[in-house]
Amino acid sequence: MSGNHLLEIKNLKIDVRVTKKRRLSIVDTASLIIEPGQIIGLIGESGSGKTMLCRSLVGTLGRRGAYIASGQLKFDGIDLISAKQSVWNEIRGKRIGYVPQSALAGPNPVMTIGAQLAEAILQDENFPKADLEKRSLELLNIVQIRRPETVLKQYQHELSGGMKQRVMIACAIAQQPQLIVADEPTTGLDVTVQAEIMELLKQIRKDFNTSIILVSHDLPLINEICDDTVVMHAGTTVEKIPSKSIKASKHPYTLALYNSRIDLVVPKGQLKTINGQPPSVGSWPEGCRFSERCDFVKDKCRVKQDLPLITIGTSHETSCLRYDEIAR
Amino acid sequence: MKLLVYAMTKLRGKNTVNIIEAKNVSVIFDSYGDVIKAVDQVDFVLPKGQTIGVVGESGSGKSTFARVLSGLQLPTSGSVTFMGKPIQSGRNTYEGALRKEVQMVFQDPYGSLNPRMRIVKAIAEAIRQHQGLDKKASRVAALDLLESMGISNLDAQKFPSKLSGGQRQRASVARALSAQPSVLIADEPTSAIDQSAQAQLLGLFNDLIKKGLSIVLVSHDLGVIRYLSDYVYVMKDGIFVESGKSEEIFNNPKEDYTKKLISSIPGRSIK
Ligand SMILES: Nc1ncnc2c1ncn2[C@@H]1O[C@H](COP(=O)(O)OP(=O)(O)OP(=O)(O)O)[C@@H](O)[C@H]1O
Ligand SMILES: Nc1ncnc2c1ncn2[C@@H]1O[C@H](COP(=O)(O)OP(=O)(O)OP(=O)(O)O)[C@@H](O)[C@H]1O
Ligand code: SF4
Ligand SMILES: [Mg+2]
Ligand SMILES: [Mg+2]
Repeated sequence: MSGNHLLEIKNLKIDVRVTKKRRLSIVDTASLIIEPGQIIGLIGESGSGKTMLCRSLVGTLGRRGAYIASGQLKFDGIDLISAKQSVWNEIRGKRIGYVPQSALAGPNPVMTIGAQLAEAILQDENFPKADLEKRSLELLNIVQIRRPETVLKQYQHELSGGMKQRVMIACAIAQQPQLIVADEPTTGLDVTVQAEIMELLKQIRKDFNTSIILVSHDLPLINEICDDTVVMHAGTTVEKIPSKSIKASKHPYTLALYNSRIDLVVPKGQLKTINGQPPSVGSWPEGCRFSERCDFVKDKCRVKQDLPLITIGTSHETSCLRYDEIAR
Repeated sequence: MKLLVYAMTKLRGKNTVNIIEAKNVSVIFDSYGDVIKAVDQVDFVLPKGQTIGVVGESGSGKSTFARVLSGLQLPTSGSVTFMGKPIQSGRNTYEGALRKEVQMVFQDPYGSLNPRMRIVKAIAEAIRQHQGLDKKASRVAALDLLESMGISNLDAQKFPSKLSGGQRQRASVARALSAQPSVLIADEPTSAIDQSAQAQLLGLFNDLIKKGLSIVLVSHDLGVIRYLSDYVYVMKDGIFVESGKSEEIFNNPKEDYTKKLISSIPGRSIK
């Protein structure tokens, strides 16, 4: 394994404990590599395992009753699977910043926003306490919150949805981490703020060579700011493709996802959806997990084993067995 | 500007029944010495069977206004009527039979789901209560409703904390719809779901609109607003700076604020 990837996820499998004996896989054979300074978009239907994958990067799977069952997970050469609490304390929040998906419920309800920012800032034990307020205001300004002095004294229920979200982003960047994992950071933000936050993320990348994983359902947004896009379906990564060439996708699922975009239809017109429903965890088909929904399916797609990603071009990998036959 | 909006509301009121009307509504928060006019003397009408979009930058007062319409936030001044009658009496709103008529989907889906109840059970109970079905029938109806939004029977058995963000969001929409309301006030109902699930949910909304449902739709996703809304209000600093027919707002916005809001949609068509 070459040592200089910032993050390397290989064949990761995440299970949840359903009962004392029963286990359920919610992520299986997910693979992903990130280099320093890269912005990766992570897309896929609701329930495909994006959040769980993100949680594995900050060691908080346990809070959802989940754990890593097998595979590899390395950050800057450190094995995160066997990482002890002391190692996590040095990584979580400091070297890997996390904006959780439930940012709306995110800020602690019984702490003021000021107290929460202080907590994020003081993870660095050497930070001079006298500069705390200055740094807090600076962070709130970076994420463009109006009336920052008032906001420091407020509780989360007194903020609008978008304000809460920006507070969570401010906390995540407080330590200038090497990797920012942002799970839907711009949902519920108006497009102007959204564009500003994206500019901010790009600027952070430029200044500190920070890498970013951006989970979003907003495909045009991903298309615009991410270097590569990684697509998840039913707990697995099915394609990795340079964002700019997404139209040249070689996976029917990615194409179907793109074709169900609302901007392609007239108001109240007939909307396109992907065939069928995403297979639920615990009932994934063997072989290609998209086979029951795919227009291109052939018998060979229903093999017994999982389909690995095949490299078919620069930064382009797909797990579709018929990648060279599908046309848009 | 305000006069114009008012004139337009009058005009539109002529040939349709207004199911909800808000007049001169203000909500003022006194927050640590800072007076925040979250909603500032606004007028609004929801004609029966229509979908009204509400857009505006973050913090402009959309959620606060939506909560006023659904009776969860008492306005500092002004009034809201439902079918011509005030929704408020004393400190209560939507009393008795009106209770079920107006349902809200919250921006934060955690807020509206009981964490100790399996999704299917929570929805089934609401159906039983509001639609008077028996236990078995309401469970079947709950599973059907969830399935029509793309939540499988398997996922329906889960507690809210075991669902993904998008699954939870749809569960909270299902909860609101289970009362068979005549008005749905939806605050960012599609923000956490993928395009395909979004299409499915909007399709369902479309069907319900045909059956007479009226919707107030708050969203930052202008694609969704444009797809569903007949009429759009644009909010800034607690006031409606512009309102008009959806195609007018999108094709021919008058205010700079609206123009900016619309133009900054990042690369709407994928390069
Ligand atoms: N504790 C649990 N027990 C059982 N199933 C779970 C548990 N936690 C999560 N799941 C399931 O795992 C799957 C993946 O969830 P995850 O939150 O990672 O999805 P996601 O891709 O982030 O979706 P979204 O876009 O809706 O946020 C979902 O189907 C969810 O229902
Ligand atoms: N309970 C409260 N106490 C004090 N201020 C509040 C309270 N609720 C809301 N506000 C303030 O009112 C303003 C409007 O908030 P609101 O939630 O209505 O905005 P919004 O338009 O929904 O924004 P977003 O798009 O970010 O969700 C904000 O400045 C917010 O901080
Ligand atoms: S492997 Fe087969 S079923 Fe799967 S996406 Fe490709 S063509 Fe479709
Ligand atoms: Mg998620
Ligand atoms: Mg809001």
